[in-house]
Amino acid sequence: MLLDQFISSTTKDSVSRLFFIIIGLIAFSLMTLYSISDNPLSSNSSFYRQCVFLIFSFIVFIFVKNISMKTIHDNSTIIFIATFIFCIIPFFLPSVEYTYRWIDLGFFYIQPSEYLKCATVIVIAKYLSNHQLEVKDNSIIVVPSILTLLSALIVLNQPDLGTAVIMCAPLLPMLLWAGVSNFTIFLMIAPIITILAASNIIYFTVWAFIMFICFLSFQANIITKSILYFANIFTGLLTPFLWNNLAAYQKQRILTFLNPDLDPMGSAYHIIQSITAIGSGGLFGKGWGAGSQTQLKFLPVQESDFILSVIAEELGFLGILCVMIFCFLLIKTLLDIAFRSSDYFASLVIVGLGSILLSHIFINSAMTIGLMPVKGLPMPFISAGGSFLLSCFIMIGLVVSFSKN
Amino acid sequence: MLKIENKADIFHYRTLLFILCFALFSLLSRYFYLQVIDYDRHFSKSKVNSVKALTTYAPRGLILDRYGEILVDNYPTYILTVKPYELRDKEQEFVKLSSIIGIDTEELNRRYKKYHRGPFLPTTIAKNLTFEQISQIEEMRLDFPGVQYDRSDERIYSPILNDAHFLGYLREVDRDTIPKLDKNLLYRAGELIGWQGIEKQYEKELRFSKGVDYVEVDTHGREIFRLNNNNIPAFPGKDLSLTIDANLQRYCRNILEGKKGSVLVSNVNTGEILSMVSSPSYDLSIYRGTTSEVEWNDLLKNKDKPLLNRSIAGLYPSGSTLKLITVINLIENSLVDPSDSLLCTGIYVPPGSTSEFRCWNENGHGLVDLNKAIAQSCNIYFYETVQLISLKDWTDTAKQFGFNTSTEIDLPNEKSGLIPDQDFYIKNYGRWGWSERGALLNLTLGQGDILITPVQALKFTNHIASRGETAQLRLNLSEEISYYDKIVYPEKIWNHIWDGMFDTVNADQGSGWRARLNGSDVKLFGKTSTAENPHGEPHAWFIGFFDVEDTTYSIVVMIENGGGGGAIASPIAGDIVSYYINSSKSLAEN
Repeated sequence: MLLDQFISSTTKDSVSRLFFIIIGLIAFSLMTLYSISDNPLSSNSSFYRQCVFLIFSFIVFIFVKNISMKTIHDNSTIIFIATFIFCIIPFFLPSVEYTYRWIDLGFFYIQPSEYLKCATVIVIAKYLSNHQLEVKDNSIIVVPSILTLLSALIVLNQPDLGTAVIMCAPLLPMLLWAGVSNFTIFLMIAPIITILAASNIIYFTVWAFIMFICFLSFQANIITKSILYFANIFTGLLTPFLWNNLAAYQKQRILTFLNPDLDPMGSAYHIIQSITAIGSGGLFGKGWGAGSQTQLKFLPVQESDFILSVIAEELGFLGILCVMIFCFLLIKTLLDIAFRSSDYFASLVIVGLGSILLSHIFINSAMTIGLMPVKGLPMPFISAGGSFLLSCFIMIGLVVSFSKN
Repeated sequence: MLKIENKADIFHYRTLLFILCFALFSLLSRYFYLQVIDYDRHFSKSKVNSVKALTTYAPRGLILDRYGEILVDNYPTYILTVKPYELRDKEQEFVKLSSIIGIDTEELNRRYKKYHRGPFLPTTIAKNLTFEQISQIEEMRLDFPGVQYDRSDERIYSPILNDAHFLGYLREVDRDTIPKLDKNLLYRAGELIGWQGIEKQYEKELRFSKGVDYVEVDTHGREIFRLNNNNIPAFPGKDLSLTIDANLQRYCRNILEGKKGSVLVSNVNTGEILSMVSSPSYDLSIYRGTTSEVEWNDLLKNKDKPLLNRSIAGLYPSGSTLKLITVINLIENSLVDPSDSLLCTGIYVPPGSTSEFRCWNENGHGLVDLNKAIAQSCNIYFYETVQLISLKDWTDTAKQFGFNTSTEIDLPNEKSGLIPDQDFYIKNYGRWGWSERGALLNLTLGQGDILITPVQALKFTNHIASRGETAQLRLNLSEEISYYDKIVYPEKIWNHIWDGMFDTVNADQGSGWRARLNGSDVKLFGKTSTAENPHGEPHAWFIGFFDVEDTTYSIVVMIENGGGGGAIASPIAGDIVSYYINSSKSLAEN
């Protein structure tokens, strides 16, 4: 395969490439923040604050990168439990804007769930590496799924649907990477697609057919296969029935939960503004600091959630293309390092962290172009914000530390 | 066993790589579609205009009296708002603004902080701007980025009824109160909310519903076009008709001018309050926001408590009014024969005691029967007879008439008063610190720990006037009539009370003779009381009822520290009743 030739370079090359990519993304970030700040050098502009956070994060990065993998591997359970407790603390503190996501440190709000993402990946990786020999057993998925659900549920209660989704993202790639059988992976995905497809009779028929072919092609006991197949079909048929049985207010509650900003003044308005900003950027953009939508503040939360829209308006499609290439290289490099790593645990952790970063990139961009409801997830290394930037640097620190093997 | 060989499969590597490519490619194709293929549309939209959503408002409902006279109206004012994120240099702009509108920067900063609700939403910092101030700001527009002025409705009160406590007032919602309010009404900081009285009680009905206008604005933020689709219109609040008779209210207020106290007039058959006056009062328009701190403190610290609505929240000993409770107990249990007379010498010494209790008439009333005891309000008669009643019977009867509980009139912050019962005495005086007989001596005169509100006295009067079946008191004209729990007594009890109350006003030595309606065929029933209290002169009470054309009306007059009920409250009540009879006569003629 054409893309495989990238693998030929050494791990050392990959790590230095990683640095260049991150510097590139940060350059985009600072450039954009400078453009949207009225007074970039004053101490409360987002540009200035981002610079301070960068310096602080870099110091943490140096620290994390020098922790040996063995230390992290041996203490992963403790790290997970400690981070988990850290996530519970906000529930005992006064709420910040009616949620329990943040801990107020005075000079900055820290969001513990950012760090729970890394901790969950590490603890799952450790479990999988300890049970490598049983990896073809279907039961291998139980413990990682429970750990993921546990983390997702605590975050969901804060409530923070976006981060809860991110929390689930690394599970499947890690299981796949660990060598869990395709059949098992398929069994995990199938019910989700079944429920989603159940809303439309055509989708559902097509999906039932695809599922049938898949089940035929898998090597397993014919009785098990038919039971699983019909269980899926049954779930699908039941879903619309259950949904219709809910009272109107219950449906409304679920819909509002999935998309909290059904308010016409809320997110719909934001997305319209974002799409206008992006579309009007064109191929080459309106020029740095000259985006009318941005500079006139039509665009909401432009320093974090909608920062890509600023780039799209001011630097055009080419700017976005550059950002996306950087993002591609970032994840690709992580994959390379994981693939070449001689250690099973390290390789699993890196894949997990890569999935977290990719899902952030995907959800954030999809939100700016109206493909997803507004979820308030930031863009790695580009969006302004302390907690998340710090957690990104910690992830990269872990990758660099693990790549030494 | 840290070291485990990594056996990542090239197939898995390719799968994940494929997912990565697919995800980023689908994003890029959408960006490509928006930015390259659909570029013209979006570009022209951004070049020429952009859509902004504006919240629109409608007027709050008006408050009218029973004949449709407007008591509370709206009038338009200019308010000044700032959008925090558009401010270039807040301090400097505030200094300039302060010189134009004459509010110091400290106050501007305080309001800015108080009503701040986010960087993109306008924060109200000044109100009631004059046209000159607006034009000055308009001239210096470029010096004030982020500053806007808007039209907004303020409450204006009918000039003669601008001090009626029951109307209540509006207050600006601030950031701390928002979480406590009804989410469905979409309050935002800086908006007005009914905070007291009718304005609070009927907030839901009076408040408008907000709308949204989508407008296209150009790149300088100027509005160029109103989009008509998808707009949500704002609807005005409903007008509210009160049971109040504005003319009567005016008359009663004037009669209380310079006195402390309360007057209530109601329709017994329907429970409608025709007049509710509490004096001293204050001008309700002080809540419009231009009142200084000093004036406020004067009002708050004024020892006459002008902010208090005495009619529903003023607590006073009832005085002799509650002798009627004793009367009911006596006749119901056949403890005395109403025609039997007792000798009043002016002094009563309870059996086994040496302390003397005096009648208000130091010379004594001589021989007194039940009717005369009510009409002349003889203390000795009730001192002696109350000894035949048990404390529990007495307090139960009083509570049955609605004392010790709120009347549930449609106003917030009503007080429920106190009828001290056995539990109360034990709790406050200890098991042995009081005696039932001693307590009754106090209670029968409506003294001691008893506290009632004028509106409770009104409910009591209505119960008597309707012989136990009276309508729920209310101020909302359109509300349906509902009734308080029926009080059932034999007719003879009501007859005795009515006779006594008739003689109070109309008999020769009746304590309320000053209320007599000269030259009118309307029969006025009444009861005076003079409530001793530790704060100075006694409170003067008069309660009464009368019929005009098949409708029964009731009246309560309470003059705080006014003196004797007969001397002070009765003539006031008489004047009000005559005025009402005449005005309803002229109304009927027209």
